[in-house]
Parts: sequence; structure tokens; C-alpha cells
Amino acid sequence: MELIAALTVGVLVAIGVWLLLDRNLVRVVLGVVVLGNAINLAVLTAGRLGGQAAAFVPGGVVPEAAANPLPQALVLTAIVIGFALFVFALAVLKRTREEHDSTETDRITRVAEAPAPDLPADGKEGA
Amino acid sequence: MLNAVLGIALAMLLAPALSRVLDDRAGFLLAAAPLAAFVWFVLQVPVVAGGGELIEALAWVPALEVTLAFRLDGLSLLFALLVSGIGTLIVLYAGAYLSDHHHLGRFYAYLLGFMAAMLGLVLADDFIAMFVFWELTSVASFLLIAFLHEKSDSRRAALQALLITGGGGLALLAGLILLGVVSDSWQFSALQAAAVEGHVLYPAIVVLILIGCFTKSAQLPFHLWLPNAMAAPTPVSAYLHSATMVKAGVYLMARLNPVFGGPEGWGTVLVVVGAATALVGAVLAIRQTDLKRILAYTTVTVLGQLTMLIGTNTTYGLQAFVIYLLAHSLYKGALFMAVGAVDHATGTRELGRLGGLIRFMPLTGAAVALAAFSNAGLPPFFGFIAKEFKYTGLIELGPLGWLSTGVMIATNALLLTAAGLVFIRTFLGRKGRYPRVPHEVSAPMWAGPMVLALGGFALGAFNNLPEVWLVNAAVQAVARGPVEVNLYLWGGITPALVASALTVSLGALAYVFRYQVRLRLARLRVFWRISGDLIWDRMLKRLFVFAGTLAGNFQHGSLRLHMSLLALVATAVAVLAVIAMPGSLLAAADTYAPLSPAGLAGCALAVCGAAGAAVMRGRLALVAALGLSGLGLALFFLAANAPDVAVTQLMVETLTVVFLALVLRRMPPMRVVGSRAPLVRRYHAVVAGLFGVAATLLVLAAVSQPLPGGIASWFMHNSLPGGHGANVVNVILVDFRALDTLGEILVVGLAGLAAATLLGEGRGPAMSRQQGRAGFDSVFLRQGMRPLATLLTLVSLVLLWRGHNLLGGGFIGGLVAATGLVLLALGFGVPLVRRLLRVSPAWLVGAGLACALGAGLLGLLAGEAFLTGLWAAPAGLPLGTPLLFDVGVFLTVLGAVLHMLFRLLESEED
Repeated sequence: MELIAALTVGVLVAIGVWLLLDRNLVRVVLGVVVLGNAINLAVLTAGRLGGQAAAFVPGGVVPEAAANPLPQALVLTAIVIGFALFVFALAVLKRTREEHDSTETDRITRVAEAPAPDLPADGKEGA
Repeated sequence: MLNAVLGIALAMLLAPALSRVLDDRAGFLLAAAPLAAFVWFVLQVPVVAGGGELIEALAWVPALEVTLAFRLDGLSLLFALLVSGIGTLIVLYAGAYLSDHHHLGRFYAYLLGFMAAMLGLVLADDFIAMFVFWELTSVASFLLIAFLHEKSDSRRAALQALLITGGGGLALLAGLILLGVVSDSWQFSALQAAAVEGHVLYPAIVVLILIGCFTKSAQLPFHLWLPNAMAAPTPVSAYLHSATMVKAGVYLMARLNPVFGGPEGWGTVLVVVGAATALVGAVLAIRQTDLKRILAYTTVTVLGQLTMLIGTNTTYGLQAFVIYLLAHSLYKGALFMAVGAVDHATGTRELGRLGGLIRFMPLTGAAVALAAFSNAGLPPFFGFIAKEFKYTGLIELGPLGWLSTGVMIATNALLLTAAGLVFIRTFLGRKGRYPRVPHEVSAPMWAGPMVLALGGFALGAFNNLPEVWLVNAAVQAVARGPVEVNLYLWGGITPALVASALTVSLGALAYVFRYQVRLRLARLRVFWRISGDLIWDRMLKRLFVFAGTLAGNFQHGSLRLHMSLLALVATAVAVLAVIAMPGSLLAAADTYAPLSPAGLAGCALAVCGAAGAAVMRGRLALVAALGLSGLGLALFFLAANAPDVAVTQLMVETLTVVFLALVLRRMPPMRVVGSRAPLVRRYHAVVAGLFGVAATLLVLAAVSQPLPGGIASWFMHNSLPGGHGANVVNVILVDFRALDTLGEILVVGLAGLAAATLLGEGRGPAMSRQQGRAGFDSVFLRQGMRPLATLLTLVSLVLLWRGHNLLGGGFIGGLVAATGLVLLALGFGVPLVRRLLRVSPAWLVGAGLACALGAGLLGLLAGEAFLTGLWAAPAGLPLGTPLLFDVGVFLTVLGAVLHMLFRLLESEED
């Protein structure tokens, strides 16, 4: 199972990075989500997948071959944080579209990047 | 000693408030702090003069063995008296000089801050403590030079001073650390010459420390910041840039002289650099027409001479060093303050417009006369003794001494000429063309120079007083072995006296023929073209251009280029890490978990969904594909026996779809997938593919190794006994690793608040009266939504409650509750849900974080570590702080999601 999971992680990561490299910010945001999913899967897989029972100890009885609880706890919070990050990215996307009327990364950079206010643009002055 | 530094630092803190209340009279009150310190140091004179030392130590960073150790010996005492004594006069003087400045309080604060740092510097026994004070004086100097920050000259001079002294400070730090490591002692008092001499690192230590000292004390070629620093108000020039701070470098050289003074190198370097500095300073001083700049360049000369005198390491040389240090601080402080008074009274410092001022300012004139005589080295002033001893000390040195005596005679003659310029040219002769009608300045302004100038006279005339009480102990601290100290005015006809006579006649000649001298000097155009300032400006400009080019290559502003480079580098690192790992990438087949149909289906769904999102263009299709991918992942988690994670993923995926759909609705449809240029597309595909391969390899590598440690089983076994919960994942989240969770919900809350601001303008519930949304007007949908939302909310509370033992918990509960309320908000409008909630979602975030923090503090109150779980079971119902913590998680997650959604929906209604 771990082999399949590792392959899945690889494919998801590749798709995520491919999306991140896109011109369109909408797809960049999607890339963030896909990449996040892939990493969550990777973390859970690294803690092994062979658990036969969920990580519960009813009455203090530790079940045989229970799933590893630590990566589960890590992934659980990572999912929620990833969601917060995703909404933040969405918010940036929405605001960018409103401010610059475009969702293309390089075009926005050209429009939005003003020279730093404390340095002259031509670099003539020393101090 | 600690109290002296702290007292002055306290005065610094009080200064702004005091001067707001008392205006310029605050100075009289503030001067009490340095005065008290001065009196205390005076009272210590008998102890130190008797060969004693005072030591105070305070553990500062015990883990690194850094102590705030203070030691008062002869050298420290001399400096401490100068710092606190002149400091008192300067504080009084500044009140009158800057009485009409609107930032006088700030000025006092900087000045007193500097004073505290400078006192700390000369008293500190610990290397690191000394260095910290050293840097503090640099910072204070920066602030004081830039005090008149409206002028670009001031800003430039301040930056230059900071860059030069700060750069030297870095070298000094390196030198001190090397010294500490080599000698295995971090205190000046514990340094042994034998431990350092002959060590391989000895030259490196000397060079690094000397760079620090030379930059601070304006030695060639670092001298250029000092004349520029005259852009500061005159009290600063008088105090920092002639009497105290610039002598910090000299102080450190003197302090280390007993350790480094042995082998030839140290002395020769000091004599040569000092002589060169003295000569350059003196020649440049004569060329100036601004009184303050004349004094600044003579200060450079004097610093050079002091460096030279340390380098001689002869009996007379070291005596001359101590005497001259004292004499110079007194007369130069006086001269600077007097020049400030002249500037204040007449409105100019240009020699050409001054003259005959003695008629208008007799008291200031008298002070200048006394100081100038001492400066010129005429008997019976203290400066004369210093000059005699200088010559004797240098002549003792042999061949190098003869050469440096020549330099000394020339520079002293020029100093005498400068003294003439300052006194005769300014105060005697014809009346000048002043911009303002001059008047005698107020008492605090003439008293300072007068006290210092009289001090210079008294010390010279009654020279056995300073010999017994001050000079002796200071000389012993500087010298390598015991030195016999004996001051005198008249020593018979000696070579020194001859040199002295030569100096005076040369100086007088140079003054009389000053115009010719200046003319001659002006003809040497080649030299004046080599302007240190010009070189400095060019170097700084080159540096900026270089930095700009360098940064421009990496900060090109193309997000995609950044990302692809980052991905490539990460790929390379990952592949290298995998290659470096021992063992095979594939473990034996039986160590892997068996394939499960649900897991396979999950993987397939996740990949298909993501691939769909990558190639499709329709917005709705994108949303659906992404949702599918997330669902697949949830299925996989379920198959891996991680039900909590699966449910979380499910809820998050639902909310993701809602948010994505809401935002994408307003986006234009996408026309092209990927880049337009096929080459770029191919490049991106390769980068993404490689990164994917690297990720797979990393996971395989991780799985091929045996799972280390028994941490999982520890959690399983201690969950119920230690954490009172059967749901191990939840117990880890709210108890074992609660601090992590606290940080995580903080991130969630902050991201929610930040995203909400970006999503739409905030709006109070009262302003939004619109009922319902047009898109959800179906009666069936609305009727079905209401019970569903209620159900979800109730379920969320159950999940929260039982989460500690069964599936659920704060995260899941919060997400489920949020989903329910999101449904309501979509169906019936935000105002209804806002009314239902009664409080703002942002408030929920705050309350949640407060709950979680409070749960942690309860543990602290009970005397345990932060976030320790406390349990009680009233009526058989187990209650504990982790449950309160979980409520905090619930509220934070719920609040953050709702806050973002409400803002988004409200911004759409416009």
C-alpha cells in the first residue's frame, strides 16, 4: 500500500507544482490545495499504513496493530491550517482581480511593482 | 559602579517627560545624575590611588558565562571621572545651547544614554559586556550626529560614522572572541600576556582589535568620519567627539597594552599609524576656516599622538599618555563649548567673519585663552607638562623615536597655530562682520568651558596633586610593569626642552605667516584631490550598484521563474538526500501494508480529480474536480484507519468547494491552460515531473527505513492514564502536544482575520438588511436547510463533547458547526446568521484563543508547567483543562471560518 501511496504523492505533487507554475493565479491557488493534499498524504504514509484498528483505547485496552496516532494528529491540524491558507490565497486572488483587473502573475508584477521609495530608480545617488 | 550606570540610564528615561514639564530648566535636575556619579568616583580616588581596585559583578547570561563585571582601576577611574564630570557640564550647557529646540527632551535622552553606555564601556571588565557598551556608544553617536535630521549633511555624517565605527565594531567582536578563546579568559583582569604571546592567532587578534580601535578613535585611514560628525550640535562635538567617545579606541589600546605591548609589532604599528594620523590631522586643521572643523582636525591629531604614546611603552611615554589624555579632554572640551557659545552669540563660525570678540564676551574669551594656552602647550599649563613628557618619551625610543619626535614637533607646532587661530584670530584684533550683534552667553554656557580651562591650569600649576591621586594609578594600569611617576614643570635644559622651544617658535612663525602657509598648502593640489570623502562616496555608490545588480538577478519579479528555480533546487536537494541514505529504497515486500480496495480507490480518485483540475478550463468543472480529489483523499484516510482525519478532510473539502465556487463565480473564464510558449510549457512540465519523482523517492526512502522509537506506542499506552481520553489523536492534540495546537489555532485565527480583510469591507449587522439570496430561493431547499443546519449544529456539539474518547473533537466539531451555519447563511442570508450568533465571528476567534490560553494558564496557576492538564471528577463526570482547551479550538475554528465567509458573502451582495 505504501508504494501506491508514494506514487500517488508523486503524481499529486507533480500536478500541484505544474499548477503553481501556471500563468493564471486561479490555477496557482488550486495548486496550493493539491500540493497540500499531497503533503498530508505523504506525512500519513511516512507513519506507516498497516494499522488494523483506529487509534482508540476504549477502557485502556491498547488494540493490536493500531494505526499510528501521531501523524494523524499532525495531518489533522495541517488540513485545517491548509484550509485557512487556501482561503487566504483565495482572498488575495479576489483582491488582485479587483485591484489590477487581471489574474496573470507576471502581468500583475509589471503593473504592481513600483520602485522602492527610499532608493532612486536609476541608482545614481550614493547614500 | 552599577548604580552609577543605572542612575544615568534612569535619568535618560525620565528626560523626555521632565523636559516637557520643566522645559530647558530640566537640565539642572538631570545633571544631578552624572554629578552624583562624579562625586562617587571622586570619593573612590583614595582607594584606587592607594593601589586598590573595586570590583562588582552581576550574572548577566550565566549560560554563556557572560557577566556584567565592573572593575575600577586607575585607567577606568580616570575615564569615569572625565565621562561623568564633563558630562555634568555638558548637560547644563546643552540646556542653554538648545533651549529653543523643540526636541530638547529627546536630546537629553540620547546624551544621557550615551553617558551610561560610555561609563559602562570604561568600567566593564568582561569582554562581551564591554563590547555591548561599545556598540551602544556607536548607536548613541549615530542618533546624536543625526539629531538635526532635517539636514542631509547630518544624515550623511551620521550614517558614515555608524558604518565606519560599526564595521570596526564587527572586527573588534571577532578579535575579542578570538582573544577570549585563545587566552581562555573573558575578563580583562584575568588576561595573561604569556597565554597570548606566540600563539598562532596572535597577529589576527591584534589586527582585528586594532581595526576596532582605529575606526572608533578616527585613526588614518578611518579618520574621515570625525570631521563630518561636526554636523552634530556643539555639545555633542564637545562631549562625544573630542572628550570621550573617540577616546574609547585609545582606552581599549591602553587597556590591552600590558598584554600586547611586549613584542615589537604592536608598538611599531601604533607609533607609525599614530604619527601618520597626527600629521594628516594637523595639516588639514590649518587649512580649515570653520572653527569647529579646525578643532575636529586637531582632535584627529591628538588621537594620533595618543596612539603613538601608547606605542612607545616607555616610562615617559606612558606618563605623557595619561597626562595628555587628561589635559586634552579638559582643554578641547572647553574650546568646543566656547566655539559653540561663539556660534550661538554671533551666528557664525567662519574665521573670516570673526575677530575682537573679547569686547562682547569677556568670560568666554578668558576661558578660551586659558584652554588655548594649554592646547598650545605653554607653561605652566597642564598641556605643557604633557608636551615635555611626550618628547622625553619619544626620544627614549631610539631611531624610530627621533623620526616620530620630528613628526611630533611639526604637529605640535601646527596645534599651536590652531590654538592661535581659535583665540587670537577670534577674540583679539579688529571687530568682525558678525551676522548678529554678539552678547555674552548665559552662565551655564560659559561656566562649562571656564571650569574645564581652570582645571587645566590648576592641574599644571599644582602638578603633584594629579600625580599622586590620578596619574600614578592610571600609568600603572597601562604599563606592563611598575613605572615610577614624577611630574614636573621644570626639568632643566634637556633635549625635550629644546624640542619644546623649537615647537613654540615654529608654531608662532606658522601663525604669523598663516596666509602664506595656507597658500603654499593650497598649491599642493594633487593631495587635496585625494579626498577621503569622495572615495567614501564612490565606494558606497559602487556597493549600492553592486548590491542592486546582484539582487536584480534574483529579485526579477517573475513568480513563475522563482517557483521553478525553487522547485529545481528542492528536487536536487531531495535527490541528494536520498542518494546519501544507506540501504535500498525498496524494503522487503512483507514490511509494507497489504493493499486495500478502499485505499486504492481513494488514491485513484485523488489523482483523477487533481489531473482533471489541471487540464480542465470550465470553472464549475474545476471546482468539482478539486472536490473529487479531496474526497478521494478522505476515502484513503478512512481506509488507513484514521477516521478523525477522514472526517476533518471531508468537512474541509465541503467548505473548500463552497469558498472556491463563491470566488470563482466572479472570475473570468480561463482561455488557455499552461503557458503560451510550447518551450516554457515543456520546461514547466519537466520541473513539475522531476519534483514529483523526488517526492516519491523521499516517501519511499522514509518508508524503507524501520520506524524509529516507540513514540506511537507511548502515546497509545499513556493516553487514558495520563490524558483521561480514549481517542489518542484527540488527546495528543489537546494534551500531549497542546502547545503545538495552540500555535496552530493561532495561525488559523490570524489567517481568518487577515483573509476576511482582503475579502471584503467590514460591515456591521445593522447596515445589512437584505433578506436571503436570490440564488437559493427554492422553497424546498430553504425548508430542508433549516432542520439540516440545526442538526449539524447539534451534532457538532456532541462531537465536541465526546471527542476526547470517541471520534470527534474541537477541530471536527468546529468545522461541522461552521458547515451548518454556512448552509444557513447561504440560504437565508448573512444577517439572519449574524442575529442567531449574537456575537461577531471575530469575537468567537478571540474567545476561542482566550479559552485555550486560559486552559494553559490554569496549569501554570496550579504550579505546573504551562498547558499541563488538570482533572477533576465532580459527580463522576471527568472534567479537565484539556476539555476547555478543546472548546477553545472549536470556537477559534468556527469563528475563523464564519468570519471569512460572512465577509465574502457581504461583499458579493453589493
